[in-house]
Amino acid sequence: MRILLVEDDTLLGDGLQAGLAQSGFTVDWVRDGDAAVAALSTERFAALVLDLGLPRRDGLSVLRWLRERRDATPVLILTARDRVEDKVQGLDLGADDYVLKPFDLDEVAARLRALVRRAHGRPEPLLTLGEIELNPAARTVTRGSQTVELTGREFDLLHVLMQNAERVLTRRALEEQLYSWNDAVDSNALEVHVHHLRRKLGSEFIRTVRGVGYMATAHPAGA
Amino acid sequence: MSARPAYSLRHRLVWLLTAALAVIWLFAALAAYQRAHHEADEMLDTQLTQLAETLLAIVEGGDVKDFVKELHENAHTHTVPIAFEVWREHHHRIRRLVTSAGHSGFDAEIRPGFAEISHHGEHWRIYAVTGKDAEYRVVVGHAHAARERLAREIGFSVLVPGAIALPLMAFAVWLGVGRSLRPVDTAAREVAALDPQQLKPLDEAAPLPSEIAPLRSALNALIGRVNEAFENERRFTADAAHELRTPLAALKVQAQVALRAQDDAGRQRALAQVTAGVDRMTHLVEQLLTLARVDPAVAPSVATLVDAAETAAAVCAELLPLARQQGQTLEAELTAGCRIAVSPAWLRIALRNLVDNALRYAGAAARIEVSVTCDRNGCVLRVADNGPGVPPDERERLAARFVRGESDSEGCGLGLSIVARIATLSHARLVLGEGLPRADGGHGLAASLHFPSTG
Repeated sequence: MRILLVEDDTLLGDGLQAGLAQSGFTVDWVRDGDAAVAALSTERFAALVLDLGLPRRDGLSVLRWLRERRDATPVLILTARDRVEDKVQGLDLGADDYVLKPFDLDEVAARLRALVRRAHGRPEPLLTLGEIELNPAARTVTRGSQTVELTGREFDLLHVLMQNAERVLTRRALEEQLYSWNDAVDSNALEVHVHHLRRKLGSEFIRTVRGVGYMATAHPAGA
Repeated sequence: MSARPAYSLRHRLVWLLTAALAVIWLFAALAAYQRAHHEADEMLDTQLTQLAETLLAIVEGGDVKDFVKELHENAHTHTVPIAFEVWREHHHRIRRLVTSAGHSGFDAEIRPGFAEISHHGEHWRIYAVTGKDAEYRVVVGHAHAARERLAREIGFSVLVPGAIALPLMAFAVWLGVGRSLRPVDTAAREVAALDPQQLKPLDEAAPLPSEIAPLRSALNALIGRVNEAFENERRFTADAAHELRTPLAALKVQAQVALRAQDDAGRQRALAQVTAGVDRMTHLVEQLLTLARVDPAVAPSVATLVDAAETAAAVCAELLPLARQQGQTLEAELTAGCRIAVSPAWLRIALRNLVDNALRYAGAAARIEVSVTCDRNGCVLRVADNGPGVPPDERERLAARFVRGESDSEGCGLGLSIVARIATLSHARLVLGEGLPRADGGHGLAASLHFPSTG
């Protein structure tokens, strides 16, 4: 899952980027409000982790801008301000969750997963499609009763595909959600990952829509 | 801690007024008494002359016996008992004709007119008169003691109403003073009822006498300032807590990253970040402590005459190694003999923060120039750099607590507020302006402290 981290503090931003990457997120990090707006206007993120005290454009202003353009990207606010009014204002402006500094990395990761899950309209933590079951928190995948070993990138790809099951995802959309700006994307890396997933989970599970992209489905073509 | 009141305004007023009244009253009474005494004397003297003339006329008319009898019968009507005697000089023989009852007679040698004589150990005031050819001579007299008694009685009778009036006046004074001072009591009660946690100014609209109203105004001004200080303090505590949270969050996250790291390189990197975070927090805590120390309530500063150039030289010497290490140039242009009245420790902290700021934010290979100049208007300490500079509209904001510049992600946002605070407390001005020119035509930042002339 690719998320946008907006944090002006170098040390905290660096730690969050590293820590969330450990938890399986793909993290893009910007340090001020203007950069956040620029990133959000051109690309899609599974979630936004937003600090409130930002240079140039504060966090609440970014949030307001995001909601005004009807962007429903889940937003998790990081803040040092613990007054109730601050929380109320943040939530009223369209934030989905709130974490007070200092926080626990695992908690932030869990909250982010919950936000993304709810954004896809799923109350349950596990993603299932046919006989395949994906656990985002534990980062495990089972097929039937058997555990399937996946690399980090393969897991992320499967995660995105299953979140958007029965919908066609373009290559560009997939790449946007899988790779951060720092990742050098090989032109056919996506095909390689899809190929490996098909080999591990069954070829009919991911359907190629020629010229458009890929789709995860429980109803194989011709069935 | 309440000191014993020096004195009570009410008591002092009552006592002063009453004492003044009593003294004035005493003099007036003395004068009245003497006046009455004098009047009594005159009246009795008139009585004596009249009696003597009457007696003489009667004696010369020959009808002495009846008159004397009548005199004796009416003796009790006289306020002062009268002694009299009548003499007749006939053919060079002097003979006493009549004397008043129980009177042994004065000396024969008495000249006409008033006289004070001693007779049988008693003082008398007598009046003698002689008829035509000096045949008859009449002497009348009052015993001095009796006269005095009467005069005193009259005198005292004048004093009685005054004696009653005195306590009445004192009471009136007490009442008047008490009523006049009532607004003071009211004001004192209002002040006593103030809640130190929520100081509210006293109602300026409530009527107060012109003597106390300025006190209330001054008190309200003080309450305003105290409230401002409270608010400042409250905001500072809240801000400080927030500012501590971010580095704490960073430390925790980096520590967790280190714990979860699968590889040594990742762990080493995260641990290095933890160390950097601890360094940053140390700087923040040190700056917070400095800010707390620059508080006249905590440590009163002792302003002495300081040679600004000496302090500047010391600070530059202290920071020069850091500048070299960062590849920066630190230059000083110091005019000796610029004396300013300031706490030496505070001046050092302020200058150190300014130079430290320049070293921090001017960037690698920057040039930093410290200068001390003075003229008759005062002394200016200036730290200028050729770094990225600060846009004019942002400069003012920078001196506020916990405000960092755009490019600043490492500082704690306290340095300039410490300098600003020292400037305020030292009656100096902190001015942020255009610094040294950069190669690209722009300018760096210059921070200067303007101290007023000590002369």
